[in-house]
Amino acid sequence: MADLILRDLVKRFDKAEVLRSINLEVHDGEFVVFVGPSGCGKSTTLRLIAGLDDVTSGTVEIAGRVVNNLEPKDRDIAMVFQNYAIYPHMTVRRNISFGLKSSKASRAEKTRRIEEVAAILGMTNLLDRKPAQLSGGQRQRVAIGRAMVRDPAVFLFDEPLSNLDAQLRTQMRLEIKKLHQRVGSTIIFVTHDQVEAMTMADRIVIMKDGRIQQVGTPADVYHSPANMFVAQFIGAPSMNLIPGAVAHDHGVTLASGQSLHFDRALPQGRNVTLGIRPEDLSPDTPDAIVEGQVTVREPLGHETLIYVGTPSGDLIAKADGRTPPEVGASVRLGALSQNIHVFDADTGEALL
Amino acid sequence: MKLYRDLTIHQKQIVWAWTFLALPVLFYGVIRFYPTGNAILISFQDWNLLGDRTWTGFDNYSTLFADPVFWKVFKNTFVYLLLGTPISLVISFVIAYHLDKTRFLHGFLRMLYFLPFMTSAVAMAWVWRWFYQPVPIGLFNNALASVGIPQINFLNSTTNALPAILAPAVWAGLGFQIIIFMAGLRAIPRSYYEAARIDGVSTWSILWEITLPLLKPTIVFLVVFSSIGFLRIFDHVFNMTTNNPGGPLNATKPLVLMIYQTAFSSFDMGYAAAQTVVLFVVLLVVSLLQLRLLRDR
Repeated sequence: MADLILRDLVKRFDKAEVLRSINLEVHDGEFVVFVGPSGCGKSTTLRLIAGLDDVTSGTVEIAGRVVNNLEPKDRDIAMVFQNYAIYPHMTVRRNISFGLKSSKASRAEKTRRIEEVAAILGMTNLLDRKPAQLSGGQRQRVAIGRAMVRDPAVFLFDEPLSNLDAQLRTQMRLEIKKLHQRVGSTIIFVTHDQVEAMTMADRIVIMKDGRIQQVGTPADVYHSPANMFVAQFIGAPSMNLIPGAVAHDHGVTLASGQSLHFDRALPQGRNVTLGIRPEDLSPDTPDAIVEGQVTVREPLGHETLIYVGTPSGDLIAKADGRTPPEVGASVRLGALSQNIHVFDADTGEALL
Repeated sequence: MKLYRDLTIHQKQIVWAWTFLALPVLFYGVIRFYPTGNAILISFQDWNLLGDRTWTGFDNYSTLFADPVFWKVFKNTFVYLLLGTPISLVISFVIAYHLDKTRFLHGFLRMLYFLPFMTSAVAMAWVWRWFYQPVPIGLFNNALASVGIPQINFLNSTTNALPAILAPAVWAGLGFQIIIFMAGLRAIPRSYYEAARIDGVSTWSILWEITLPLLKPTIVFLVVFSSIGFLRIFDHVFNMTTNNPGGPLNATKPLVLMIYQTAFSSFDMGYAAAQTVVLFVVLLVVSLLQLRLLRDR
């Protein structure tokens, strides 16, 4: 049992409140990713779980005990840092053995554990090297090794992939996910990259301004975003937002005067914002919503993204990869009504 | 001008490089290397500043190595070095280590520690000299007397005088060393300490296994720098023992003071130059040895 429960977690630095009432339950063996823009409080949350910073109010509970007043080493956690925090003057073996400093295990047992971890991470032949002789990905693995050797209840990753180049990042992403499937520990992973969040997480926690915006599986947050922030943050390119007003309980009028019909009921008289993902918006469909001219094309091979200037602003749509419309061409963009998200324009909350 | 215009880019670069190099080359040649070479030359000659220089070969050196005062002075110089460098480094590290963790009045405290470094050595030496006077003048002896401890003869004792002079010299250099140590401490990423905290490493292990090894470049710099300083100690000694410079009985006399006296009291320039050459060799050997021992393996 290694559940992690955060209850009404608040963190203040002097007067600035950086975390406002965080409530979250992470189940044993779950891979949870905290994602959000910089300054949203995701790293602070991680540091509170680790015990590197003090909680202002609320509780952190790991495996059934409140750990607010426990030293980091007594919390049964391990952490991988953004800059890896591996010591440049020690060999890989010494670096990994640092994770066992406080362990009571015998010397032989420690050696066995280090060898075992090195084997899992494919670093057996690197054990006697210094970090300067390793590549970025290998250093990353040493940092993970030092965490693994502690055999903690919860792994904490603080943006561990952001110092790697794009190709290596994709590779390490896969390795960490495989590692999770193999060892099955609880993992809390912090990142600002929504692609990392989507690809790795069992559940994603999206944060902004010290608050949790939505918690859900990657499919949940992608297909049913709780508000406009989540809708725009998850998915690349971002969701198109089109302002409108509810005319009657099944219809929305756009700025262009175009009227849309929904099968689902809407609160009347509200200003709303419609959200449509670029891949749901395509040219020359029968039920067109807006009309405009293509300003830029971005061919991606299997599809082409087109930027279209319309009365409702610039929109991004997906066109065919082989025969996309020319720049300057007039296109009519349409989407299926079930793929259109409706948000309250004032609060940003999802209405449908 | 036409001549310059016809040069290739590479040739023009060479012209400019030498133009800019000319000033430092001239400076080093005239101000540094010429006097150094001249000193080495004079060390093989006999000269009283006014008369002719006469070639004497190795006479100055053989006189020097046979001179018991030279060996006494040589030993003093190394006592200054071997006591001064480790003591000042340990004290300044301990202060820097704790000052680095102090938020309260941080800037003010740092300024206080740096102040002695900016103060004139002559003024400091005279203030310390006053501290060391017997009752009823000296601060230390007055303090001792008030709690009933017998007087200590600081500057007039052959055993106490050298440490008594070394103390203000160490104290004066602390400010600089503390600043350098603090810069070194600041350069160590915080995450190293955080990772160690999570791994449950004790404060003592963190200090010995993380902080000190990562401070090695700083330590090497300070060891070499402060060693050179103590090997060349002069102003503190001279000002605290003005009645009898280097006394009592040469107990505090360092090599530089002996050179000064030989040159400007006895006007025996050849002999003084030979001592200078010996000091130069000592400095060179000590510095190279330290760099080699402390080098990264």
